[in-house]
Amino acid sequence: MKVAYFSPMPPERSGIADYSALLLPALGERLDVSVVKRGRKRAPRGTDVSLYHVGNNPDAHGWIVDALRREPGVVVLHDYVLHHLVAGMTVGRRDGHGYLDAMEREYGVVGRLLAHGVLDKRIPPLWESRPADFPLASFVLEHATGLIVHSRTVSELVRASGFAGPVWVVPHPAWPVHEIAPVRVAPGPVIGCFGVVNASKRIPELLRATAAVRESHPDVTLLLVGPTSPGFDLERRLQRVGLAEEGLVREGWTDEARLWSLMAGSDVAVNLRHPTMGETSGSVIRALSLGKPLVVSDVGWFAELPNEVALKIPTGDDEVQVLSAALELLVTRADVREAMGISGVELARRGHDLGRVAELYAAALEESAGGAGVADSVLREVSAAAAEVGISGETAEAKEIARRLAEVELG
Amino acid sequence: MNVAVLRPQVPFARGGAEIFTDRLVDELRARGHDADLVSVPFKWYPGARVLTQAFLWRMLDLDEADGKRIDIVVATKFPSYLVRHADKRVWLVHQFRQAYDLDGTELGQFGDSPEDRAIRRKVQALDRVALGEATRLFAISRNVAGRLESSTGLQAEVLPHPPQGLEFRCDGYGDFVLSVNRLDRAKRIDLLLEAAALDTGLQIVIAGDGPDRGRLEQIARDRGLDGRARFAGRVSEQELADLYARCLAVYYAPVDEDYGMVPLEAFLSEKPVLTTTDAGGPLEVVTDGATGLVVSPDAGELARAAGWLREHRDDAATYGRAGQILAAEVTWDRAIGRLLA
Repeated sequence: MKVAYFSPMPPERSGIADYSALLLPALGERLDVSVVKRGRKRAPRGTDVSLYHVGNNPDAHGWIVDALRREPGVVVLHDYVLHHLVAGMTVGRRDGHGYLDAMEREYGVVGRLLAHGVLDKRIPPLWESRPADFPLASFVLEHATGLIVHSRTVSELVRASGFAGPVWVVPHPAWPVHEIAPVRVAPGPVIGCFGVVNASKRIPELLRATAAVRESHPDVTLLLVGPTSPGFDLERRLQRVGLAEEGLVREGWTDEARLWSLMAGSDVAVNLRHPTMGETSGSVIRALSLGKPLVVSDVGWFAELPNEVALKIPTGDDEVQVLSAALELLVTRADVREAMGISGVELARRGHDLGRVAELYAAALEESAGGAGVADSVLREVSAAAAEVGISGETAEAKEIARRLAEVELG
Repeated sequence: MNVAVLRPQVPFARGGAEIFTDRLVDELRARGHDADLVSVPFKWYPGARVLTQAFLWRMLDLDEADGKRIDIVVATKFPSYLVRHADKRVWLVHQFRQAYDLDGTELGQFGDSPEDRAIRRKVQALDRVALGEATRLFAISRNVAGRLESSTGLQAEVLPHPPQGLEFRCDGYGDFVLSVNRLDRAKRIDLLLEAAALDTGLQIVIAGDGPDRGRLEQIARDRGLDGRARFAGRVSEQELADLYARCLAVYYAPVDEDYGMVPLEAFLSEKPVLTTTDAGGPLEVVTDGATGLVVSPDAGELARAAGWLREHRDDAATYGRAGQILAAEVTWDRAIGRLLA
């Protein structure tokens, strides 16, 4: 079966590009997959089903959503909150009316008025100030024939938004772990945090919590790996909590090999998030594969991780206090780290196995391409048999048959 | 306890699953349970017929029969486990393998069209839903349990069952290697014929019948095996017990078999088993150099192994007796005890 695959691909610096590079070889063993060149707006001739990877970054995904809007297909929804994407595809293309319309379609007159406020610069851009309140997911969902999501959280959100098509929850695949030379950045316990450095990754809270832990455990080091978001003043914050001189090691963007080595050399992996856009985290998957105990926010997909592999931090008033306690527990208790690490490796092996994920993708795509025809043919045959013996229409018997068909996903 | 044993029926066909389920009903009754067999015809082609025929099981009401409550249903193979019941126990003989490991092989049935691909996925979805409803999930072998787990993520307890109740005995170690099987391609009886073509001292008796018989007989003729390869056809229980009693060894090497009763029957007759490294379920009981010989699926290797047993009849007897001890462990008392626990 022929699949047209729309996704950012390396060397683009995008988590979804890395994801596709990992997935494609395994998917190619199961299906005839053609990767569509960036910027193309149509699938190759003879395609049975198109697969569109959609995230919140308009530079990486704008062209993909353009193609989706021309030709519906299966969407891999990497983020549920797509306001930034929609803004980029409308306001960013000097199409203010497009933004007004998108906001009105989902949020009515109030949405349109708010959008006017944004365009007139009367209120701050909603994609920066309140994206989670206005996800704008329908901009994409209304063109999707089916959705692949990575979490129950997003599955529930799309259902709540009224999406009626098929939704497949497919785990994020795990990378195979090859021989890695760990890089330890300090002699004492190392708390690693990998990814973009900004407020929504709760870096201010992590800095304060680390500083608190260092009061009783001064040998603890925080390793921050990843680019700093524009406008996030890391230096000032480090000085404020006393981590500017010692206790912190900083690395910007690193290549894949260095990332794995630094993570392997850490004792704890922290991956906090608030607000969540409904995303998963490749860093969390990598940490699981390496057997690192995790500290995550108790939100979205992160909250779905088993308690055996992650300590979950609520995002309320006690966030820093609870985070400090969690970090202190993990830096002082090797037995807890080891137990969590073993569970993490097992979860990566069983739950996020690349072959299994590729098989779930193949199942979703095959169901999407031929499922409606098969469902029709089953219904036709069952209805015809029922009608032949006088069971038809809205009778109780017909309803019973319909109910039983639905129970086994045939109706 | 009132127990319904569920078995799909392919009219005019009878094999291991039929023997197993008939015997299960008998053994349940022998232990004081009120047991009965519930059967529905099954046809798996063309197109989506596999789904509509499977769905018939979903429409059955087996909560009670003529006012009598059915306490437990025991489903055995696809699609019988689609049935609804508060205490649905599945003793899995096999899934619909065309939708899994046989897909894309010459034994598969689904093509590359989107419709065929989707039908295959619907079969898998049926399995996930219906097997997921089971209150207890058993598999007849590690091989079947492994396939189940890799295809659906569901874990089954391995629960082997004893073979049919023949009058097993050993009357010595004769000159022939016995094959007992339905004659179809997946049972790979042609490999034994090719081995006989290479080893002029190898005599074989092939018990059983099936769609591959004409092709196999032609191979025997083409290789000049007249007199050394005897097609016994479908034999009576008495004849089968005699063949087991008199043979040198038993050949059993289907491709990735679910489990296979034949090795246990051979062992109960104190006979070693010749099998191949890719035979699947039989490898759970046939250990090379302990209860038989395991060779690569190659006629030359098989011929050499059969020749070695002819030259080492004491070893053949030792292997057979080791197998007998192993087979004696698989009893109906144990199996039913776990099934109904």
